Amino acid sequence: MGDGNHIEEETMTDTQRPRRTRRGFIKAAGALTASGLAFPYVSRAQDKPIRVGVPTILSGRVAQLGISSRNALQIDVDKFNAAGGLGGRKLELITRDSKGKPDEAANNTRQLINGDGCEIIISAESSAGAFAVQEVIRELKVLCIHTNSETSSLSADPKIRVPTAFRTARQGIHDAIVSAAYAGSVAKAKGLKTWMSCSPDYAYGRDNTSLFLEYMKRFHPEIELVGEAWPKLFQADYTENITKILQAKPQALYSCLWAGDLVSFLDQSGIYNLFAQTTLFAINMADYTTLTAVKNLPAGIHSSSRYLKTFPAVPENAAWGDAYKAKFGDFPTNWSWENSLAMTFLTTALKKTNSTDGAKLADAMRGMKVKSPFGADGTVTMRAEDQTTIGYAIGWGTTIPKEPYVPTVTPGDWKSILEHEAEWKKKMGFA
Amino acid sequence: MDPQALLTCLSTASCVITQTTGGLISGMLLFLVAAGLSLIFGTLKVVNFMHGSLYMLGAYFAYTLYTATGSFTIAVVGSAIGVGLFGLVFERLFMSRVYNTDVLMQLLVCYGFILILDDAVKIIWGAEFLSMGMPAAFQRPPIMIAGGILPVYYLFLIGVTLGVALLLGLLLTRTRVGKIVRAAAVNPTMTAALGINTALVFGGVFALGGLLAGLSGALAAPVRSMVAGMGFSILIESFIVTVIGGMGSIGGALVGALLIGLVRSFGTIGFPLFTEGVMFLFMTLVLITKPSGLFGKEQ
Amino acid sequence: MRSTVWLDIVIAVAAMAVLLLLPLVFPGKAFSDFMIRLSAFAIFATSLNLLVGYTGLVSFGHGLFYGLGAYSFALMMQKLGTSIPVAFVATVGVSAVVATVVGAICIRLKEIYFSFLTLAFQMLLHSIIIAWTPLTGGDQGLTGGVPRPPFLGIRLDDPQHLYIFCCAVLVVSLFIMWHLVRSPFGYTMRMIRDNPRRAEFLGVHVWRVRLLAFVVAGVFGSVGGLLMSLFVSSAYPDFAYWTVSGEAVFMILMGGISVFFGPLVGAVMLLLLNDVVTRVTEHYSLMLGIIILCFALGLRKGLLGFVLWAWARRRATAN
Repeated sequence: MGDGNHIEEETMTDTQRPRRTRRGFIKAAGALTASGLAFPYVSRAQDKPIRVGVPTILSGRVAQLGISSRNALQIDVDKFNAAGGLGGRKLELITRDSKGKPDEAANNTRQLINGDGCEIIISAESSAGAFAVQEVIRELKVLCIHTNSETSSLSADPKIRVPTAFRTARQGIHDAIVSAAYAGSVAKAKGLKTWMSCSPDYAYGRDNTSLFLEYMKRFHPEIELVGEAWPKLFQADYTENITKILQAKPQALYSCLWAGDLVSFLDQSGIYNLFAQTTLFAINMADYTTLTAVKNLPAGIHSSSRYLKTFPAVPENAAWGDAYKAKFGDFPTNWSWENSLAMTFLTTALKKTNSTDGAKLADAMRGMKVKSPFGADGTVTMRAEDQTTIGYAIGWGTTIPKEPYVPTVTPGDWKSILEHEAEWKKKMGFA
Repeated sequence: MDPQALLTCLSTASCVITQTTGGLISGMLLFLVAAGLSLIFGTLKVVNFMHGSLYMLGAYFAYTLYTATGSFTIAVVGSAIGVGLFGLVFERLFMSRVYNTDVLMQLLVCYGFILILDDAVKIIWGAEFLSMGMPAAFQRPPIMIAGGILPVYYLFLIGVTLGVALLLGLLLTRTRVGKIVRAAAVNPTMTAALGINTALVFGGVFALGGLLAGLSGALAAPVRSMVAGMGFSILIESFIVTVIGGMGSIGGALVGALLIGLVRSFGTIGFPLFTEGVMFLFMTLVLITKPSGLFGKEQ
Repeated sequence: MRSTVWLDIVIAVAAMAVLLLLPLVFPGKAFSDFMIRLSAFAIFATSLNLLVGYTGLVSFGHGLFYGLGAYSFALMMQKLGTSIPVAFVATVGVSAVVATVVGAICIRLKEIYFSFLTLAFQMLLHSIIIAWTPLTGGDQGLTGGVPRPPFLGIRLDDPQHLYIFCCAVLVVSLFIMWHLVRSPFGYTMRMIRDNPRRAEFLGVHVWRVRLLAFVVAGVFGSVGGLLMSLFVSSAYPDFAYWTVSGEAVFMILMGGISVFFGPLVGAVMLLLLNDVVTRVTEHYSLMLGIIILCFALGLRKGLLGFVLWAWARRRATAN
């Protein structure tokens, strides 16, 4: 490899030299041919870019997911290529729109690998799509990083886990523990005893909410759940859910509605004056696209940090957010940083192994610790046992209607997260 | 399933009132869309499967007009007229070419337009969802009626919708225009033979249907976030409404819309995970027992 | 009649031989993936055309059987651990029963109301799949993969075996449907399509023929879903959504509604289009919408229908 590399560089400079001698050229060409005979695979691979397949959603209601994921990946790919790539081999992103359909996600992934020759997959799919991609990876065994699916079982359940598949998205169970710890302490301080939930009725909404309530009851047995509302995903009208909440008169409301659905829910709740009597804990509020879309953002909504350039409050994070905004004219989303983190792990593993082999990369990734602006302590670790990230920044705060939107964020305690997670895994039969 | 919760709710006045008004409100906007769908089917015998996209256009037009002028009235009126015109152009240029073909061709033309409009919206207004925000005139605390809560904007919405329903009813039953429309619906050839320009009638009906969908979209804009593809769920619901109420019957659309609104409203309490299933179950039962719908004329 | 059966069998065997040799020409896995998907969609679209094109029953809800086939097969494999042939036969049985019940209710209705009711039944199944999370996994679909234990030396977890299996199912299914439409029963179907009242006067049990056509179409529709569940190793609520029915309708119209192999050609076209367009642009909807309009307003016979029509006309003018 080292040899091939050297010769490759020599030819490059040779061909670029303006007054190139014929002898030099022949010599280099001969050497290149020789090296080609000696290392047929290496020299062929030398000039070929490393293709990274990205099955994602670019059309329909969640197009924002694919667009903000792809943007983030592109920034890091450009940076990696500008720095010389992997021994001259550049990264090339190939995105495919699954239109939000899991069977298309599966098919696109197969095509990316079998048809387009992608050697690595970054699955920027929502949960249903991610599970479909997982089955393809089980069969085709290339390296895969799930960047957007937060559903815990994707990595926690050994029956679903795949040796070459990783996750850099936040994980539902981590969110639940941090949320319950934060919401519980607010509940205690403000005397919020009666609680209700209003979350979208699909896998993520159900998992997220039931886990949150489970930990809420565990940490603070004195709270009382007075009802649940389950609007459909992408529902247009939340009136019947809002009136149901008004009936139950809870002191606090938990919701994992997101993006446009959360905005509709806030707009519609606003005219009922719902938040005059009820404190809202909306886990997906603190993402710029959501914060800026709401025209009359009520102050004092509690939210988890999805992406905030002020949390973690390090210059690298703020710089990354600003660079993204400058390049695409839009704020990055929660999906963006999850994809950027994937690129950090991927490029580190590529450099370490100098290979694109799924098993080798997977070996390198297991247990890898990288420096990252999105780490709680400046680093994020890819936990070896279940191939998912820990130590990423996670916290809660309250909103104000203008920048920085969430002035102070209370960070979650990773020691406590990991303890409770281990216990949860045992209970679920995962560990 | 939680039948206990449903019974408890039904036995308390405030719950019944609040859930009923909630149901009425979601039913109202649905009615405007469904009425247009029903009107078009009644006259042209065409199921306009892109009606949800007209609703979407209404919302986006309203957003742009409101952002540009700051006037909610201009936004609503302008958007309704704009979508009405769009409907007219669509009917003349495309739909009118497939009246005499298989129903599948009509389905295809609509499906093609759903796809095109969804992408067009994404290209023009972006992939991110948008929110128009509540106009200042309606930013006031809700009204309390007998323990039930009613926001001012929804009161306005109910008023506008009922007014439109009334006007529509009068237009179809009491005016010459209405007579022509009904005549063209029953026998277009005979109507044409009597010297009436049926092409104009058909175009006009489509424009009216579009206007109603656009109005609905514009009225929904302050409370519902917008995104490409938002018309799809509205289409499904208004389709259920018209089938239940009877394709071609405006009164049926009103009753159907309120019924679906109430099923959803009380379903949220009694069987939250299967409200959509119940709507389709309802539609199935109506089709089996009376295919032309509750208020439709027997074929 | 007998001699044409033999001829058709020879043609079917030849087609199968060609399909077996094709991987030598196109060695990549992408090709076999494409063919596996094609077999699922082609069987599904052709089965719908038995109703739409041959019997005049415009079903909007054929995806009911696609979803049913995928879920019943995948669930039997996952939860009961049966062998593949048993699950295959049982899936066909389940679909036949469901098709008989749903068909008996639906075919009573005329024209557009028949279409509405089929759509309602399909969406009912979709709602049930979404709501019955413990069994179906809800909107997430079935997770953990569909086991594919070997049978008779056939290992469907091997892509090559799966390719051969799907091609065989495709050829056999098309063969059976082809014979059905060319049998006396097929003529009766078309007679009912063209003039149900006249058929009734001639002593045809219109109701019975329509129901039988509905059941046959339902059974083959479910086979299409079954193959897809084998391919993606799962089943998703999308399989029972109305867009699936819409895609099948579009395949029929793209290929040609009046030609038996129209839906097959349409399936090839739509799948290729999907692959190519998503590759070059993210405005897939826009492109597809425009293409749909071209077919709906311009090329109404469908591609294969148009080619055959043009060919027949040329021959007519040459004579």
